[in-house]
Amino acid sequence: MFMISSRKKWNNVTLLFPIILFLFLFFIIPLASLLLRSLTEPTFGLQNFEQLLATSTYVQVLFNTFLVATLVTVISLLIGFPLAWCITLMPKGWGRFLISIILLSMWTSLLARTYSWLVLLQSSGIINKTLMAIGIINQPLEMVHNLTGVIIGMSYIMVPFIVLPLQACMSAIDPMVLQAASICGASARTVFFRIFLPLCKPGLFSGALMVFVMSLGYYVTPALLGGVRDMMLPEFIVQQIQNFLNWGMASASAVLLILITLVLFYLYLKVQTDSPVSSNTGA
Amino acid sequence: MSLQTNTMTQSPLVCLRELNKEYGNFTAVDHINLDIRKGEFLTFLGSSGSGKSTTLSMIAGFETPTSGEILLNDASLINIPSHKRGIGMVFQHYSLFPHMSVRDNIGFPLDIRKVAKDERDKKVDEILQLVQLEAFADRRPSMLSGGQKQRVAIARALVYEPEILLMDEPLGALDKKLREDLQDELRLLHKRLGITIVYVTHDQDEAMRLSERIAIFKEGEIVGLGTGKDLYRKPPNAFVASFLGNSNFLKINVTGAASAQLDKHHIILDDLHVMPINQQALLMIRPENLQILTPEQAKNEALINGFNQISGTVNESVFLGESLTCSITIPSGEQLISKNIATEQPDLEPGSTVFIRWNSKHSSLYSKWEQSDINKNSAQ
Repeated sequence: MFMISSRKKWNNVTLLFPIILFLFLFFIIPLASLLLRSLTEPTFGLQNFEQLLATSTYVQVLFNTFLVATLVTVISLLIGFPLAWCITLMPKGWGRFLISIILLSMWTSLLARTYSWLVLLQSSGIINKTLMAIGIINQPLEMVHNLTGVIIGMSYIMVPFIVLPLQACMSAIDPMVLQAASICGASARTVFFRIFLPLCKPGLFSGALMVFVMSLGYYVTPALLGGVRDMMLPEFIVQQIQNFLNWGMASASAVLLILITLVLFYLYLKVQTDSPVSSNTGA
Repeated sequence: MSLQTNTMTQSPLVCLRELNKEYGNFTAVDHINLDIRKGEFLTFLGSSGSGKSTTLSMIAGFETPTSGEILLNDASLINIPSHKRGIGMVFQHYSLFPHMSVRDNIGFPLDIRKVAKDERDKKVDEILQLVQLEAFADRRPSMLSGGQKQRVAIARALVYEPEILLMDEPLGALDKKLREDLQDELRLLHKRLGITIVYVTHDQDEAMRLSERIAIFKEGEIVGLGTGKDLYRKPPNAFVASFLGNSNFLKINVTGAASAQLDKHHIILDDLHVMPINQQALLMIRPENLQILTPEQAKNEALINGFNQISGTVNESVFLGESLTCSITIPSGEQLISKNIATEQPDLEPGSTVFIRWNSKHSSLYSKWEQSDINKNSAQ
């Protein structure tokens, strides 16, 4: 008996070996070398981090990154929540149809979608022309090559990442629980805020976290729709490497980004244990 | 019995008047009329799709009737949303709030009603004691067993003292033993609190065990209404007879005020029947009202006045511990099932001839029936 179980255990470890090797080669070593570079180039020490946090332009970049990520998260939550609710309430066929539309937009090339926004938002674009034709504005709004453009474009891209987890979470809520609250005397408003919203919490949190973290590190859309003045952290990293060959500074920024993400993830896990992930149905 | 008739004369708490619900071409509830009396335990009994749950949903306010009226204390409920009806409800799958503790689940209706904190806590504690869940007050519903969850649901529905408690197959998801325990608890609870309970179930034993009155639903209509005893002993129609308990049906020809022809036998009927003479009718006898006698016993025991006797051949007899069921073919080719207390019953070998006796007072007679009504039980 002992022989068999110990042998089994040993076998299990050998089976894990390939994946451990893979993780080590492709994730742990690169991350470690990134950290190493940030601490050693050009000389050993924390000078890269000091410079990053002390210079006002760099702080501005960090601030921009957080501002955009926060706004994009909030906006896509505001759009995604009703959308997810709509899909959940729709008859089955229609709900699936709506989801496929959302998935289709997700699967379309990122560049194509970003350039479409460029076309739509530019000063001679459809939106500005229509608004001017109606007479709401006299001169074109500046909606591109600034943070507005970045936020609009990125919110569009991030909405599916809110809708998908949120919709899964909502469809797991037993509608009878809402009826039960209603018969207990709760008005529609109270049912929404006291029962429905708390039950959506897991979906909201996981969607929001995903969008926020993705937004922190997004490059293509900010690069195309953003301006030179309001740079975000990923663009800053690219600039450090391509223009200045400043590997140390770029690595330090990347490490900072990873640290922020890890802290957020830790906070998410802290909050999430408290919320009823597995007991949505009430059964 | 006289005590019961007294309570029956009280004015109804809820009245359903010509209540109708249609989904497209399908009529779920077909113009039903029903008075629910204050303080009674009334059960809607029927198979799935019979309209019993839809009727309950309309009382709760989750479904809007196509036409008809629902009155609570003589005031119409039709345009009142469910959260203002002041009705308590317990659902089949408990429907507890998964993100709240047991205490908060039960306190929820009181919080909505803005009950002061002290009073709220006091009431919640009282009701927790009533359903014997004090020890579980701070747990989440996911950490409770099915029976405990349902007790929380009952507590949540009772805590704000609604005038009427609706229960939609509340014990359906529980196993048999637990179900029986909770049935007893529920019956005691009803006695203690005197609250009006409308209970939906498809389980006839449960209906019998719990209710004061039973309304039997079939295809959106109420086809039988009365105490379990009355419905069982004198079913108003063949459907109720076959739905509630087991029954034997025999086709007979009515020949007089108290006589009929069964195949070639002359039999006597309860003289209270109102069937037209010379017409085919359906005779119903409960299996436990059939006495089975061996030829010797039949010779020794004289036939009592008012009893019928026919002969038959035993197909099979099954010993079930407390009772013995026996399937017998009578000369007309029809099969009868008898069920008797096993202690006194002699062993009946398949193929042996026996005599069947029954008291004419223990049979019911129907002039109209559908084949589907009486086939139901043989299919089970």
